[in-house]
Amino acid sequence: MNVYLLYPQREWKNEGRYRDDRTIIQDLGLKTLFSAAAKKIEMEDGKIKQIQEADPFLEDAMKKVMMIPLRTEEEIRYRQEIIRDCQEEEGFICGLYELSEQILKEWNKLGRKVSGRTGAGSVRSLVTDVHVLQLFVDSLKQLKEWFSRYQGKLHSRGFLALEERLREEFSDEKQENLERILRDVAFFANEREHEEYENRRMVNKPRIVMGCRIGDGLKPGGFQLESVSTQVKKYRASGSTLGRARDYFSTLTTPSFSIRKDEALAEQADQLEYQFVRYIISCCEPFFDSLNLFFDQLHFQAAFYQGTVNLGAYMSRFHIQACFPEVCGNKSLHFTGLKEFVMAIGQRLNPVGNTCGIDNKNLLIITGANQGGKSTFLRSIGIAQIMMQCGLSVAAESYESGIFPSFFTHFTRREDSEMNSGRLNEELKRMSQIIDQLEGDSLILLNESFASTTEKEGSVIAYDIIKALTEAGVKILTVTHLLSFAQRVYEETRLDPDSQVEFLSAQRMEDGRRTYRMIPHAPELTSFGLDLYDEIIPR
Amino acid sequence: MSEKAKNAESPFISILDPRKSSDQEIQRPIFYQDLNIDQIIDRICLIWGENVSSFYYYFPAGEACGDYRREVLADVKRHGVYEALWDFTEKMKARREVFVKKEEVPHRLQKAVWHIRETDDYCRAFMELYEALRAVPFQSEGMRAFARYLGQYLGREEFCAMQREAAGLLKEMDAFRLVLTYENDRFFVAEGEARGEYDAFLEKCFPGQDKRMESPFETVPELVELERELLKVFQKKSPDFFDRAEDFYEKYEIYAEDILLRFASEIRYYLSFYCFERKMTELGFRFCVPDMLRRQTPGEGDGPESRQPGGRQDGESAGPGKRMYARGLYDLALACANSGRAEDIVSNDMEYREEECFFVLTGPNQGGKTTFARSLGQMVYLAKMGLDVPAECAALYYFPDLLTHFSVEESVETGRGKLMDELVRLVPVMSASGRGNFVVINELFTTAANYDACIMGKRVLEHLLGQDCMGIYVTHLAELGEERPGVASLRAMLDGQGERSFKIERSRAADHASAESQACRFGLTYAQLKERLK
Repeated sequence: MNVYLLYPQREWKNEGRYRDDRTIIQDLGLKTLFSAAAKKIEMEDGKIKQIQEADPFLEDAMKKVMMIPLRTEEEIRYRQEIIRDCQEEEGFICGLYELSEQILKEWNKLGRKVSGRTGAGSVRSLVTDVHVLQLFVDSLKQLKEWFSRYQGKLHSRGFLALEERLREEFSDEKQENLERILRDVAFFANEREHEEYENRRMVNKPRIVMGCRIGDGLKPGGFQLESVSTQVKKYRASGSTLGRARDYFSTLTTPSFSIRKDEALAEQADQLEYQFVRYIISCCEPFFDSLNLFFDQLHFQAAFYQGTVNLGAYMSRFHIQACFPEVCGNKSLHFTGLKEFVMAIGQRLNPVGNTCGIDNKNLLIITGANQGGKSTFLRSIGIAQIMMQCGLSVAAESYESGIFPSFFTHFTRREDSEMNSGRLNEELKRMSQIIDQLEGDSLILLNESFASTTEKEGSVIAYDIIKALTEAGVKILTVTHLLSFAQRVYEETRLDPDSQVEFLSAQRMEDGRRTYRMIPHAPELTSFGLDLYDEIIPR
Repeated sequence: MSEKAKNAESPFISILDPRKSSDQEIQRPIFYQDLNIDQIIDRICLIWGENVSSFYYYFPAGEACGDYRREVLADVKRHGVYEALWDFTEKMKARREVFVKKEEVPHRLQKAVWHIRETDDYCRAFMELYEALRAVPFQSEGMRAFARYLGQYLGREEFCAMQREAAGLLKEMDAFRLVLTYENDRFFVAEGEARGEYDAFLEKCFPGQDKRMESPFETVPELVELERELLKVFQKKSPDFFDRAEDFYEKYEIYAEDILLRFASEIRYYLSFYCFERKMTELGFRFCVPDMLRRQTPGEGDGPESRQPGGRQDGESAGPGKRMYARGLYDLALACANSGRAEDIVSNDMEYREEECFFVLTGPNQGGKTTFARSLGQMVYLAKMGLDVPAECAALYYFPDLLTHFSVEESVETGRGKLMDELVRLVPVMSASGRGNFVVINELFTTAANYDACIMGKRVLEHLLGQDCMGIYVTHLAELGEERPGVASLRAMLDGQGERSFKIERSRAADHASAESQACRFGLTYAQLKERLK
């Protein structure tokens, strides 16, 4: 059976990750986001009652799912629909996640085998198989009931199709048959020796009817099963008078023999019982197989949606408005009130939002004042892009962008911004690795790249690389201090009405005040370091 | 054709040899190891799934045997014949398993019942084989004689009676049905048919699985107590069945015909090879039936005339221009080891032109010299064995024997020096009694001083030429490739960029070949550097 909650027609597979996912996580600070998603916030009367401890499984699931980009608008819509259902019926997804967790816990307690399959094994492992079968049947029943409770409240294709599959593949008829099998083999798996019923000891005893023929070498073979059932019998010691009398009378009617007196016979009868049950359980193998991965998938996929609910709680906690992004062409980028969500979580505040509307551009060069929020701006786009590409809602009033499964970040980190040839080597090597890995629709965020050498040299390097990349159709957003680079591109494109380059700058009021907003602006030869100097160094 | 008709009257003895049975002592000449034929045989056994190596180690001396086998192999390859024979060997294998089970059980009666099954398997295997093959117009002496022999055997009254009796007893036993009910620690047993309702229920729940319950006592050969109890009911129903079974066992304890059993065993020689050949063909490797040529060599001691091997212009039997050659010849052992695609294995064309008896092969290390020499030796071996050879097309002579000498790592056990060791091992090659053998020599005297090695090498070559031998001599000594009657000089070539191409071509031996190959191994030739810096 398939879960299909993450993709319309397939199960989760840890394949197709962002090629350089570790760097993305580090550059965009996504760890904070993963761990926030793993914490469930319990609300009471609109107030936070309790924030639960991070759920490590959920954190991991969130990270894995977010690091694999969706590739089509259709896939994004599919998840968005489910997330909407989860946001409206939080209880449903919480219950689903808890239920799947519970099932796996029980299964592990039964000593889940690595293969999860029935096979040649001991009496004990066969008993376990029967118990696992019981667990599966009970679990699927519970799942069906859980869906019934939310009848009419779920609208997403994902949930509705899963419910339909449940009702189809685990139909009432199938459920009845499996329950019958479980009742029939109860003699094997359920000990009743010590149960007392109206002061009588009761035992589970099998009644088996079968046909056979004489095979090669006189060995009976070709068994045909006629009927199997479990009977609850009063326990009678083998030596008891009544028991002996019974044995005697039954010999008078049909040819028969008792196994009570003969140890070898008793043991062989046990072997026969074992073989029966093994055969019956092996017939159920398709059922085991169909569920072998189902509960793991359900647990994992439900974890992701539980995570989205938790993230939603964070947004409302900081009064951040959220929206589901829209998909548009790759050369457009529109958003209003976009916020750097990771920073909001980390600093527990509602940061300034940015607005931007760009069409027909594939190179965005951001220059301007230090401490003007350029990096924050770039990160907020990166974070939103990652969240959009896994179906999540983003921290903005609106967000519209293309889909870039081939997404890279190339950030110069503070600690390695010193001028140092080793650093430059490292940077160029990383750039070259990115270029090796580019495929399809690509977007690269460059933050202060090639700043580890002189401005002049860095500008030349940046110019060549960026020109070649944009000509190859790669979209680039760059924050840069390389002013000769920016100037050179600006001069080239100033008079070109079809230019695909946009320049943004941190807004600076007449009085030097910073608004932390980005506005279209020609690059300037100064990065206003003096302003900062003036601000910090007392006159 | 009339000759063939005469042959057809000869009695059937063995499918491997027209004259005698193959059960004889097997010795393993050193060439099996030198030419990597061991590896080919291992591969054949692996693909066939059974150890059939002993047939491949039986290396017949005579010409007639090779022809006899080649004809049989052609018949085996006919449409439907291979499949019928394969089916047959499967059935005989099943019979063998029954025999093993029979031997396992101590109980006389149980033995008897197993024996009936074994006999029945045997009868049916041969009857069905006969049915499948009766319409095939066999051309080979071997298959015709076998088919005739089998037809006569199956028509005999003793055989028919035995077959009827075995089948009858089995039918009787198969028809008996029991129903047992296990309830409250007691088994109730009755004759009768069960409908398998619970099986049907399970099939309905989980369709299409085709499972059945196996007896828990199946792995125990003897009858366990529970089974004995069940048999009592059968005994009550047919009291004399067990007596009749035992009578049969006594009467037909020895039921099989030796010649037929030998056929069943020996036919696997052809089947295993053809099976292997088909597998290799799927991977793109080519095989062909070689043309067998007769060498015009005057009898021994006929004086200088005998130095005219291979290609006398009169060439009555071989026809003018028909000399030993092969196109697309490759090392079959290498193909087996790689088991990859045919494109990865280099093949070569070769031809002994008139008067030529020996190739002297020089060239860079690792350039495919040894591989080429081996492929030549393998071709001679396979042709003598009556099998197909690894080439697109080929013709070769009958050689009385195949001799090889390969240099080996210094042997610690003998304690002799390497040169000493080599010379000792060379003795059989040099003193072989027969003339006109095929000889493969790979790197003699590598440890001797150059001057000495040249002289010794020339002597060996002269001696072998004097013995009317043909063959190939792989050496690093360019001097041996100097022009000399009866010798053709070959070289392992480098391609245009100095890479080893593993191609073997006619060329004068050259001294700097090894230096060239050294440079190329390190990727330092001009062309390689250009390529790397692009």
